[in-house]
Amino acid sequence: MLARVANNLFWMGRYIERSEHIARYINVNYFASLDAPNEHSQSRQFVLRSMMYMVGEPEKDDNVQLNEEDIFFKIGLDPGFPFSIINNVKYARENANSARDLISTELYEATNKFYHFVVNYPVDVFVKRGLYDFTLNIAEMSAVLRGKIRGTLLHDEVYAIILMGINIERATQIIRMINSKYNDALVAQGSYADRFRNSFEWTTLLKCAESYDMMRRYYKKTPNSVSTLEFLILNPDCPRSVMNCLNQVFYHIKTLDQKSSYHKNSTAFLVGKVRAEYAYKSIEEIEGDVKKFIESILDSLNQISQKMEKEFFNY
Amino acid sequence: MPQVKNTIFSSYEKNPGLLDELYDETGEIKEIYSKLFKLYGEHSIQDYVTLNNKAKASFFNQGITFQVYNDKDSKEKIFPFDLFPRIIDSKEWDIIESGTIQRCRALNLFLWDVYHEKKIIRQGIVPLELISSSVNYMDQMMDVNPPGGIYNHISGTDIIKHSDGRYYVLEDNIRCPSGVSYVICNRTALKRALFGVFNHYQTYTVTNYAENLLEVLESVKPKGVDIPTCVVITPGMYNSAFYEHSYLAKTMGVELVEGRDLFVENDFVYMKTINGPEKVDIIYRRVDDQFMDPLEFRPDSALGVPGIFAAYKKGNVSLANAPGTGVADDKAIYTYMPDIIKYYLGEEPILNNVHTYHCSRPAEMNYVLDHISELVIKPVDEAGGYGISIGNRLSKDEIDAVKRQIRADPRKYVAQPIMSLSVHPTYIDESESFEQRHVDLRTYTLLGKDKEFVLKGGLTRVALKKGNLIVNSSQGGGSKDTWVLKK
Repeated sequence: MLARVANNLFWMGRYIERSEHIARYINVNYFASLDAPNEHSQSRQFVLRSMMYMVGEPEKDDNVQLNEEDIFFKIGLDPGFPFSIINNVKYARENANSARDLISTELYEATNKFYHFVVNYPVDVFVKRGLYDFTLNIAEMSAVLRGKIRGTLLHDEVYAIILMGINIERATQIIRMINSKYNDALVAQGSYADRFRNSFEWTTLLKCAESYDMMRRYYKKTPNSVSTLEFLILNPDCPRSVMNCLNQVFYHIKTLDQKSSYHKNSTAFLVGKVRAEYAYKSIEEIEGDVKKFIESILDSLNQISQKMEKEFFNY
Repeated sequence: MPQVKNTIFSSYEKNPGLLDELYDETGEIKEIYSKLFKLYGEHSIQDYVTLNNKAKASFFNQGITFQVYNDKDSKEKIFPFDLFPRIIDSKEWDIIESGTIQRCRALNLFLWDVYHEKKIIRQGIVPLELISSSVNYMDQMMDVNPPGGIYNHISGTDIIKHSDGRYYVLEDNIRCPSGVSYVICNRTALKRALFGVFNHYQTYTVTNYAENLLEVLESVKPKGVDIPTCVVITPGMYNSAFYEHSYLAKTMGVELVEGRDLFVENDFVYMKTINGPEKVDIIYRRVDDQFMDPLEFRPDSALGVPGIFAAYKKGNVSLANAPGTGVADDKAIYTYMPDIIKYYLGEEPILNNVHTYHCSRPAEMNYVLDHISELVIKPVDEAGGYGISIGNRLSKDEIDAVKRQIRADPRKYVAQPIMSLSVHPTYIDESESFEQRHVDLRTYTLLGKDKEFVLKGGLTRVALKKGNLIVNSSQGGGSKDTWVLKK
């Protein structure tokens, strides 16, 4: 496989995953806030700020009043905002385009349909009454894409690279969500019957990660800060957990690097190292300083991505 | 099924002056079309509009679209596709197939000769100045022996049926002929929209093109290579034919590369993969030869690979088509095709040539200048339908302008009688009905070492504007699925 094309496929995976997480985040947060149990979480300003925090453009000025339609447009369909869903989907398709000879017709057509759905979505409908429909479709269409990736591609290097992109991005987005909701839980505490540990925001966080039902099944208790973080970071069986993503990345790097023992400068070595770190971590170690954990894991994921670039995409 | 009134054919107007593919000499619907005519006639206009929209959606979802890239807000568009297929029976097809193979063989021998002994020139059959003045002649190709002795591996021959009922070749395209992916997409779209009609006909498949192309490419592998690595080179994803490049690479199962993915070391060509360099043996190039190697040809080319021509001359890599083939599909050479076929093959041409006047010859130029209104004037070195003037469409001022152009550079122009391309029922969006439109046919011929193949089908191009004779997609043309019937 060409190095240039491998890079494009890696990013195709990342952009597909990214658009889905952003869509789900704004969907779940908005609708959860409508009847949230406390005033703070129910406030529109609070949820809009949370959305901007998640996409990486937090509003720093407390006095600014955010406009709902403006924020929806910006995150959803603004071609001028680099982190908007429409741009993510455009990039995903552009990357698929350049690797069109390597991927299946089925995957390409699904990507293409996805793209046309987004670019043809009327802006006025979206900002006024289309939030649910639009974001739900994004989430569903990206699930279709993952299905086509799994079900129609050869499970070879091409597949491994796409899946590494998807999983690195998934871990990154889950951490961004944790970061954002952790921040929300801090801000929201103190209001009626809400302590940080038992904040309503933990439930919202789990729903953003499509993990609420399974978390309830696993713990059989109402989510609190510790159990939620443990589930989303360390539980290897939760498909959205950071641990699971690292396991996946480690599994797929083996397709690209088939040596029995890895060179200390290789991507595989680094992935194995990061994975081992979290495989033997307890939630108590993380819970004490969540901010530090977030910085450190984002840094590790970034290093993996850069290492891949150097080892495989350097053309 | 009860006869539906007001069907899509009820308003079909037949102009008696034109040769309509639907009818035979007696004015009856041809037998090969009768079933189809009946099947389509069962659709109400509303039905048909729905089907037509479905077919468009099929193209859209397949991503077979184009966009004007310097226009930021332009929407993607699909190439116009017509749901009513063109049918060619096996008897007529045999003529087309044997005729195009004959032409391609002759062109290949001609190219070898032009780039070696130049016997045909020394014997006075083709004038020297025609070769030496051609912008597509490549001095660098002199005495180069392409692997397998093949220059034009892939040829696109443009054929029309004239009002006399005979087939004529309008053009040979042996540089980078495109459009074959549309042949296959048209078939796919038609199957999706109207699969039922295929039950009534025995039609040859068109999806075997890629496997034959790969076989042809591998037949000209460099000496000493056992299992060759073949790639397709594209100018990139913003090229208007990128879909075709990726389609061909995918269906052949080979890598699609850009110039920047390749490099040359010690006169061997390598591609940069995730596992390091990998040697490349055969390149199907969809980059113009002038852009292939900045060291040898255009130094400003960012699309090419420095040193690739040297590797080619050493026989370490095969290029298809060979560089320098453009000298033979020049419209001025076209006029010598009957002589070229006779000279190299000792055969009479199977397909007709349109009589051509060379403005480079004073007597013929004078004839052309006096009869512009009856002629089509073409520049010899342009592709895509650009620069063509059709005499009976020109105003007096325009005729004077054309005359000035010819006088200024006679070598640049040839003229031909205005051919009356046959017409075919074509669905027209604006009137929501079928109307007669002019069509031609581009056939695809592959030439390898000891292998020849003609795609049974081809691209029927339609001039969508009423009365228009130019069918190129760049000039607002559409296309149709083309069925070649089994015997």
